[in-house]
Amino acid sequence: MTVTAPRARRSSVARFVAAYGQEIVIACALIALFIVVSAINPRFLGANNVNTIVSGNAYIAVAAIGMSMIIITGHIDVSVGALIGVLATISGTLAVSGYPVWVAWTAPIFIGAAINGGVGALVAYGRLPSIVVTLGMLSILRGGLVSSTGGAWINDLPPAFQIAQARWFGAPAPIWFMVILTVLAFLWMKNTAFGRSLYAIGGNAEAARAAGIPVERRTVQVFMIHGAFAGIATMLFATQLRVIQSTVPPNLELTIITASVIGGVSILGGTGTVIGSTLAAVLFAAIGSAMIFVNVSAYWLRAVIGLLILVTVLADMARRNREFWSNQR
Amino acid sequence: MTARGFLRHETILALLVLVALFVLDRQSDRFLTVDNLFNQGRLMTEVGLIAIVMTFVIVTGGIDLSVGSILGMTAILIGVFWKNMGLPLPAAIGMGLVVGAFAGFVNGVIITRFKVPPLIATLGTLALYRGIAEGVSEARSVRGYPEWFFVLGQGELWGAPTQLWIFAAVAIVAAVVLAYTTFGRTTYAVGSNEVAARFSGLGVDGAKIAIYSASGLAAAIAAAIFVSRVSTTRSDMGTGIELDAITAVVLGGTSIFGGRGTIIGTLLGLVLIQSLKNGLSLAGVKSDGTVVLIGAVLILTILISNLVHRDATR
Amino acid sequence: MTALVRLQGVSESFAGIRVLRDVDFDVQPGEVHALLGENGAGKSTLIKIIAGTHAPDSGVIRVGDDEMRAITPREAAKGGNATVYQELLLFPDLTAAENIFLGHAPKTGLGTLDWNQMRRRARELLDSLDSHDLDVDVKVGALSVANRQRIEIAKALSQNARVLIMDEPTAALADADVRRLMIVIKRLRERGVGIIYVSHKLPEIFEIADRVTVLRDGALIGTLPIAEVTEQTLVTMMVGREIDQLFPKPEPNFGATVLRVSNLGLGDRVRDISFELRRGEILGLAGLVGSGRTELALILFGITPATSGVIELDGRPVTITSPRQAKTLGIAYVPEDRGLQGLVRPMTVAQNNSMAALSHVARGVFLDLRAEAAKAAAAIRQLGIRARGPDQIVAQLSGGNQQKVVLGKWLETAPRILIMDEPTRGIDVGAKAEIHALMGRLAQQGLAILMISSELPEVLGMSDRVLVMHGGRLVATIDRADATPSTVGAAMAAASHAGEAA
Repeated sequence: MTVTAPRARRSSVARFVAAYGQEIVIACALIALFIVVSAINPRFLGANNVNTIVSGNAYIAVAAIGMSMIIITGHIDVSVGALIGVLATISGTLAVSGYPVWVAWTAPIFIGAAINGGVGALVAYGRLPSIVVTLGMLSILRGGLVSSTGGAWINDLPPAFQIAQARWFGAPAPIWFMVILTVLAFLWMKNTAFGRSLYAIGGNAEAARAAGIPVERRTVQVFMIHGAFAGIATMLFATQLRVIQSTVPPNLELTIITASVIGGVSILGGTGTVIGSTLAAVLFAAIGSAMIFVNVSAYWLRAVIGLLILVTVLADMARRNREFWSNQR
Repeated sequence: MTARGFLRHETILALLVLVALFVLDRQSDRFLTVDNLFNQGRLMTEVGLIAIVMTFVIVTGGIDLSVGSILGMTAILIGVFWKNMGLPLPAAIGMGLVVGAFAGFVNGVIITRFKVPPLIATLGTLALYRGIAEGVSEARSVRGYPEWFFVLGQGELWGAPTQLWIFAAVAIVAAVVLAYTTFGRTTYAVGSNEVAARFSGLGVDGAKIAIYSASGLAAAIAAAIFVSRVSTTRSDMGTGIELDAITAVVLGGTSIFGGRGTIIGTLLGLVLIQSLKNGLSLAGVKSDGTVVLIGAVLILTILISNLVHRDATR
Repeated sequence: MTALVRLQGVSESFAGIRVLRDVDFDVQPGEVHALLGENGAGKSTLIKIIAGTHAPDSGVIRVGDDEMRAITPREAAKGGNATVYQELLLFPDLTAAENIFLGHAPKTGLGTLDWNQMRRRARELLDSLDSHDLDVDVKVGALSVANRQRIEIAKALSQNARVLIMDEPTAALADADVRRLMIVIKRLRERGVGIIYVSHKLPEIFEIADRVTVLRDGALIGTLPIAEVTEQTLVTMMVGREIDQLFPKPEPNFGATVLRVSNLGLGDRVRDISFELRRGEILGLAGLVGSGRTELALILFGITPATSGVIELDGRPVTITSPRQAKTLGIAYVPEDRGLQGLVRPMTVAQNNSMAALSHVARGVFLDLRAEAAKAAAAIRQLGIRARGPDQIVAQLSGGNQQKVVLGKWLETAPRILIMDEPTRGIDVGAKAEIHALMGRLAQQGLAILMISSELPEVLGMSDRVLVMHGGRLVATIDRADATPSTVGAAMAAASHAGEAA
């Protein structure tokens, strides 16, 4: 009888690094960016600026939580920016129409969940590719928004509405939202059967189905959750200023997707965490601000986004191709 | 691709087009005039050129979301080459076409050499190319093009709008290539089963790079026509044109999963969409409302197509 | 004794074709019940019905005491039916422990997953399957096929399976792993688990099964205790006729050396391979799974060019960097995975037939569809392909006929070297014989054939010489006269012992 020695168990540290490699890279990049840019222009590190960067863009991180879940499940949503625009207008309209402020805050969450639930149903039961459905949805929402508002902005929002300006225990409310939601979502994705089933579906939908996971139902559910997160993000986004515009910030969906992808969520599905996407969203906002402080024209921001996506994805594919070859029998 | 398959989708589509034309004619007596039809033809050309090549892209099972950005980038660069660098306009346009084709080539390389899924690759280049357009132009527009240039987008040649001749030529060539040449067969094979195509010794990567380069070139030609038609250059040109193109292609019967589709189908899809747009605008609906409709049409089309083809071997 | 699962009068149709007719089947506790039949006989459908992934059109399923019309995968799992599929259904990015317990993971009081318990129980399960070297925290994507299969079995056991369905479990396993699997199955049997064992490999069935059921064309031919059957009777039941000569081999007619390979290597997967191949010769390439045979074929076919060594065709050295180039050099490859690598299933016989030689049916760049149809019709005649005509979609053909289409595709290129990778895998006995006859004829006409096969009888029956590979190296070259199950088998086994001792 042959005796085989038990495989040496990898140390916990080694395992941690292997599992969270991308998140560590982003954190390092963030630190490096701050060091470099503040060396060039010390005002970058000013408390006010850091606050603006993180707090003002927290809504992107929150939306990226939902987007990460979608991508992990193996889908994508290019309409989320338009959705936030629509939800913001609804929120503002409710606020100026005399509804209690909390209604204006929470209605978008439910409406977002409902709208995206419909998208999810088309994807899951209609078996339509999510890229095409959300491409169509993007048009419907964007066009719908402009048609129904006629391009008018919403003014005279009640001051109580501005939750984004609130400060709790010394830190701006958006940062609290961002951190707490990220941590909760991370724990939930890691430690519940529901959360793990998303990784399973993204990894191998057929195997997930055979394992008894209700793939279609989960897909609708994850789209609804993503819509809810878009609603929460709307709350942080719409309440930043005293007005609500009738358009969304350009490339919002692209920024959100980029945050997820750079944060380690593989576009092929099945891996990645929301911590990575939140860190990436902050990194992203920091880059945008850094460009101003280093005097690079802001017009190049979108090009930078594109370059970041490509570089990250190329690196991801290169890593996968290498692993593939080393695992051949 | 069998006679029966052709009969189902393209024929239904042709009937729909006839119905649409009939309805629109009833609605407004301005519709079926030569002037209006030619004008619609003009408006349709830019999307049309892109949609025709997009048919090849989608038949291979891929997608190109960056066409709108390539259009914008090329338009800006034509302006830059001509105004800022002082090149004669024909040379500037030529350079623009080269840049567009190269942008498509880059897409092809990222997709074949680095094996990045087309969705995310062209999403990234969508941002990159539009970003280049914005960065280079800094939101300034270029005007003052010479008169002769406007013949391309606004003038006529042999009795019909100039760009329609270009469109017709491209459409005919594309239809012949896809249906009757070895390249077309390769395209279908790649979309149906890329691994088997590769294992049969077909030049899969070469075909993909050629198709994505052609997509970029089509966007560049569309850019030249667009600039000529509106007499100006702006960095946001072409935003959203990928949606129109993809809708036309899918409406025309091309499967989003690849392996199936025809140029004639895409042409019918284009006509149907343009008729819809024309009808709506004649009825007083603003362009935003039209955009909503196009999105809804896209979703409905693939939904119906999926339901119909549920039992087919795939 | 109550059966664990009993099917009565079960029928099923797909797209108008009757796949199962009125079949009865049952599994007793503590028995290994083998399920035999040619491809298309209905075996897969039967086990899918038991696993709950398909619902029959008529008939009754009894799981334990409950009688049902159809069951869902969840109900099947609850009733204790678990399946280990051929195409393993695992999640490459998740760990072994998580794969084993996905969908039924142990939970803490709070409702969250109890990772500690999951890892502990996974460790226990793997140890009970003699897999002490398998780390529960390793990502499954990094594991070998044999190890992944063990995870699948552990997965089944983790759900307290009372009925375990194993679909071609040894198709991709090396001999040592097959032995270990047999031991595991015997242990499971002792525990009272009922095992449905679907396999083509008769020796294994005779070793392990208690009863055997044979299906043919969807109908039940018979269910018999293993003691009452022989290999001959089983084959007759499967095929419906006597098969005497499985390997017709005409007199060889060797020509000049067409291929010479010297010190060929590709990383550590293929090492220092040297051999020669003559015209008219059938060179059998035997070896355990993972020995590097397909990797060698892919080098010769240009999918993965060699990193060292020399390839000479008709005396001239060449470097082969793509399948396209291999084709122009006269090398053809009939791949292992017919459905994925060999055919474009939605296309017709004619379109598949011309795919490797499009220029032959084209004038310039334009396709000549009539010529294409004519060539396909000729191929159908010459190869005996059972199809309605050149316009039939290949997905509708049976495995044997599909393989003939792939063969025909490559013959259109008029190759001088034909590499066939598992040429008769998953093909019914009748079509196997036809393909072997074709190979013999082609060899006699001067084609040089390199045949990779894991079926020892096929290797021994068809080869003029046998090369044995192990661990990427060539360990033996045996002439037809000296090739017997013991010499070839010993070469494959001796290599593995040498490897372990080192």
